Amino acid sequence: MDLENQTRIKELVEKVGRENVVVILGGAEAEASGLAAETVTTGDPTFAGPLTGVQLELPVYHILELKDIVPEDVWEDQISMMEMVLDVDDIIKEVTTYRTQNGG
Amino acid sequence: MTNPVVKAASYCLFHAPDMVLTHGTTLTMERAKNPDSPLFDEVHQALRSFENVVAYPPNQVYIGNMQPDELAKIPQPWYENPVEPNRKGKLGEIFPMDEFIAMMKIVDAFELVLLEDNFGKQVTERLNGHPLFNEADFAILSKTQSQEEINALLEKNTAVPLEFEGKVVGCVKRAHEYDINLSADVMFENLAGKAGGVLALRHLLWNNNIDPATVDYIIETSEEAAGDMNQRGGGNFAKSIGEKSGCINATGSDTRSFCAGPAHGIVNATGLVKSGIYKNVVVVAGGATAKLGMNSRDHIKKEVPVLEDCMGAFALLIGADDGVNPIIRTDAIGRHKVGTGSSPQAVTTALVTAPLEAAGLTITDVDKFSVEMQNPEITVPAGAGNVPEANYKMIAALGVKQGALERTEINSFVENHGLPGWAPTQGHIPSGVPFMGFARQGLLDGTLNRVMIVGKGSLFLARLTNLFDGVSFIMERNPGKGGDAVVPTEKMVTVGVTLLGSEHGIEEVVRGAELAQRKHKNIRVVAIGPKGSTSLPTVEANTEDEQRSTMENLLKTGEIDACVTMHYNFPLGVTTIGRVIAPATGREMLIASTTGMSAGNRTEAMHKNAILGIAVAKGLGIADPQVGILNVDGALTTERSLRDLEKEGYAISWAASGRADGQAVMRGNDALTGSCDVLVTDSLTGNILVKMLSALNTGGSIESVGYGYGPGVGEGYKQIVNIVSRASGAPVIAGAVEFAADMAKAKLPELVQEELTKAKLIKAQEAGGVQKPPAKPVDQEITGIDVLQIEDATEALWKENIYAEAGMGCTGPVVMVAPEDFEVARKKLVELGFIS
Repeated sequence: MDLENQTRIKELVEKVGRENVVVILGGAEAEASGLAAETVTTGDPTFAGPLTGVQLELPVYHILELKDIVPEDVWEDQISMMEMVLDVDDIIKEVTTYRTQNGG
Repeated sequence: MTNPVVKAASYCLFHAPDMVLTHGTTLTMERAKNPDSPLFDEVHQALRSFENVVAYPPNQVYIGNMQPDELAKIPQPWYENPVEPNRKGKLGEIFPMDEFIAMMKIVDAFELVLLEDNFGKQVTERLNGHPLFNEADFAILSKTQSQEEINALLEKNTAVPLEFEGKVVGCVKRAHEYDINLSADVMFENLAGKAGGVLALRHLLWNNNIDPATVDYIIETSEEAAGDMNQRGGGNFAKSIGEKSGCINATGSDTRSFCAGPAHGIVNATGLVKSGIYKNVVVVAGGATAKLGMNSRDHIKKEVPVLEDCMGAFALLIGADDGVNPIIRTDAIGRHKVGTGSSPQAVTTALVTAPLEAAGLTITDVDKFSVEMQNPEITVPAGAGNVPEANYKMIAALGVKQGALERTEINSFVENHGLPGWAPTQGHIPSGVPFMGFARQGLLDGTLNRVMIVGKGSLFLARLTNLFDGVSFIMERNPGKGGDAVVPTEKMVTVGVTLLGSEHGIEEVVRGAELAQRKHKNIRVVAIGPKGSTSLPTVEANTEDEQRSTMENLLKTGEIDACVTMHYNFPLGVTTIGRVIAPATGREMLIASTTGMSAGNRTEAMHKNAILGIAVAKGLGIADPQVGILNVDGALTTERSLRDLEKEGYAISWAASGRADGQAVMRGNDALTGSCDVLVTDSLTGNILVKMLSALNTGGSIESVGYGYGPGVGEGYKQIVNIVSRASGAPVIAGAVEFAADMAKAKLPELVQEELTKAKLIKAQEAGGVQKPPAKPVDQEITGIDVLQIEDATEALWKENIYAEAGMGCTGPVVMVAPEDFEVARKKLVELGFIS
């Protein structure tokens, strides 16, 4: 995950508390989405950013898992095209792994 | 108002393995954080040699030697499937590191780049004769420094090193003591960007025979910033690149929009041309040292070589409508607006479907889309996926949503309208523009009708806005001056002419070559011979031997498509098909054949000559050539064998003699009246005929009419070499250039192969034959071997592991070998009784 984003997440958690933060990913690829999910749960696996060794254990979802709570017209406008393109099952499987590992 | 057209495109790569370590940000960041990191060694180990870089299929596509579709057929990983390593390509060139460092020195206007004495000398020697470098460049390169002076600057930390093969060969000094915008590292980066831009622009001008003085405006579209502390992005790369490329009438400016810069540059250029403000606008960009080895960490983890070892550069010329070159439509420019939003759906709509809708088209009306053409072999291991493929899927999915496609058609759309990625991950370099050279060719030769170029950029990286960006435009076939019917357009072909060897002196040959250039705008004539002989572009060669090897090299690398030369030995089995003008009627006639030998046996040779003559006639656009056989010894046997072939299904149209009998056997009168399209004869008689018919008006001393002795043709012969004689005059040499160009356009070697196959003259490979040793250049002739034994003699040498080729010298058959094999080969042939 981008180092700037790691910093922003870390600061946000420090400011509002981890119980008030949910991470929603929009990555287009399963492995990258998995890495991002891992970063905000068990820490940065690349050992490059500020979340290295920091276990935030935040609840993390990919937007593709949240179709039910997104208004239909917004989904249609913003996501329906990518839903056709992306490997939805793989992405969800990867993100779920880290959420489950984390007991979330 | 005129239509803007794409007049030329050029693409260059610069292998820069040392700069991966010294200037790629992945490695420089690592050095700042962890100076003892194992990554440096790991990257160093995983870097590729120049040879591997040249043989890497995506790089061969980048410089135009391979079509993107061909790349798609090569199994991945491509780095394990090398292709023919040509550093020079149809659209560009791959430069090794030392030559690129030399260019950084050449483009340096403030004495910031210092090169070490020996390195300067060596690289000057290497570049001598390279068409993109000139005397002024060599004068700059001659100013070098001692290793001690360079080391002293490096120790004081006022310069950064220029390394080649791990050794310090120079340095780049800082341009100001305190201003970080002029620090040594920033100057290094900017001079590297400038050097790449200059090489791409020089290549564009040279390869397309464009006078630099005709360029009016230059738009530079890289992602670097040139300036000082008071104006950090002041510019102007464009004009500085023009200065070093001879564009004395141009001004210019830099256009920036991250990776979308080049696409913006082209849209701006089309506007300037369409409005009539400028006639010829160049869009150019060099590469980025910062992005070298960007994903090397991931590549090493996945055991992939460090593939980001090259900088890229390109140059494109947008000009006023010439009725030929493909048009860029100005009524359907796609743009990502401030209010568009950043969802992929919104971006794709703005850049692809909205402009198509404006033009009354749908996505299936576009033959090919060029998007971010990043090489997937670089991006997939780094977790960024296959970028072009993802883009094509998005376009297809949007098409489904808008009803232009069925959902089941997504994959076939991606396959048919997409392209594999081949460009290096240099940000602006892969962004839409890499396909424009292929698109121009395809739209010229009719294999494509419409393409769309899409460039996108990530503006949020500059932390000024979270917005995304992109622009797109459509390229279409030029409808021609008439406005409706598509004009058949002719491809530009390059024909070499060797200057030395004529009995009438070098001036006569030069006159012929220059005459051809004046007469034919679709032919680029390149002289091969002593420098300063002609205003034509010249590749230097100072002896006939040098001319021959230079010509062979240029043909091999594809820098020339065909060549006109004299006194050239073809291998046995290859013969030339001459072209004359019949004096009594002015009709053109091919004489098959005029030099060389298609076969050792006379009637066998004449039979084959007929087929080869037909192939050449077809190459000239004569669909159904009329064949006659000259009444020489063996004529009737040849006619019989050809009539037998006809019965087996090979179609031959027979000519009728002008004499009372009207037979296919031609008399001397028919040679004068040109009663047939292809006159079949043995090569010695054919040779006499060409000489007589070409020198008819001059009393014999100089051949003044016709097209010369023609191209060498034969089974498996891949080059187009047209022969003239030492007695040929300028008009014949000009004719030969035209003839050679026609043969290159017609892809003669393929036509010959096809015709020989149809006539059942190509035998299947014999199993268990003698293995040929690896080929090497052969220039020593062994004479005195009987013509019937020439092939056996060659094979006998192969058995001894001596590489040899059978050929036809001017005095008779010869076996040709390399100088180091000459003595042994001769002895062996004496021993075996081939010569005494």
